[in-house]
Amino acid sequence: MPAEQAKLIHVALKAERLFNIGPFEVTNSMIGALIASVILLAAAWYFSRSSAIVPNRLQSLIELPIELLTGIVASSTSRWRGYVSLVVGLFLMILVANWLGLLPGVGTIGLKGQAGEIVPFVRPAAADLNFTLGLAIISFVVFVWWAIRLHGPIGYLKELAGEPKVLAPLMFPIHLISELSRLVSLSMRLFGNVFAGEVLLATMLALTTAVAFTLPLALFVPGVFLGLELLFGAVQALVFALLTMAYITLAIAEHQEGHAADADHGENVATDPSHSTPAPA
Amino acid sequence: MDSNLAAGLAMIGAIGPGIGLGIGFSKAMEALGRNPDAAGTIFVPYILGLALTEAIGIYCFVVALILIFT
Repeated sequence: MPAEQAKLIHVALKAERLFNIGPFEVTNSMIGALIASVILLAAAWYFSRSSAIVPNRLQSLIELPIELLTGIVASSTSRWRGYVSLVVGLFLMILVANWLGLLPGVGTIGLKGQAGEIVPFVRPAAADLNFTLGLAIISFVVFVWWAIRLHGPIGYLKELAGEPKVLAPLMFPIHLISELSRLVSLSMRLFGNVFAGEVLLATMLALTTAVAFTLPLALFVPGVFLGLELLFGAVQALVFALLTMAYITLAIAEHQEGHAADADHGENVATDPSHSTPAPA
Repeated sequence: MDSNLAAGLAMIGAIGPGIGLGIGFSKAMEALGRNPDAAGTIFVPYILGLALTEAIGIYCFVVALILIFT
């Protein structure tokens, strides 16, 4: 049975190599990330040239989600201008990369591999752990940088050591691991979701086309799951962006608690919507 | 064959996040029912809590996938 299933759908856990440029391996998920970047750059170039005060229909369609996300970020802390572009940028990049993977031809058109399987030219970028880990490292560096910038390196280490100084030897490794686990959870969440979506779509198509009896179902069952993946792609992009924002907010808010005497940034910690965020697992 | 069984066993871990997501969603709906105006305020913490809960299930899923496909 496992051998039969393996024939039914071909799933590659890691991105497959397409060709080499010198010692540098080019995989199909890198092509996916590259296409997503080109789409975003082209959109940025086009909309920065053609945008008007009174937006036309296309412009307002693009502006609506960005304004919504900017509004959420603006309600986090008073320093939101420092990281809003990163949060919105992460959201747009993941959104485009995820939705790119749902286009017909992505993951189905490709070269023939050694075992007769298809090695697709384009793989959704987030279905490769390298891409999601890269984004998570960017996010990690930024929120640690915010903590160090507002706290100073010594203050950041003090924050990691925790409040009762006696417990510092115990709490320091725990806090360190909880900081590093954000890296793992951010990247694994996105990778798991997108990869699971790809496998789900392939499985649904394989199941409905396996027997002639269920063939009529193949007309609409994969379509339902495609629609679901459209939603999940957007939700995961939003989740990644909002978690990055929440981590940066926490890094800034810790600073505010530590220096309550500083009047200039003692603003709305209590009304901050993301301040009640639970610490990540 | 053994690794397939192990993958199935690994997915038992998805029960916990499933229950957790249900509790979270029911509480969010309860809050929304009590105060429909708070929808905007509830949305962001809700999505974040959902993501953090769901991550545990995703870990199980990734472990299962690694067991099957490597």
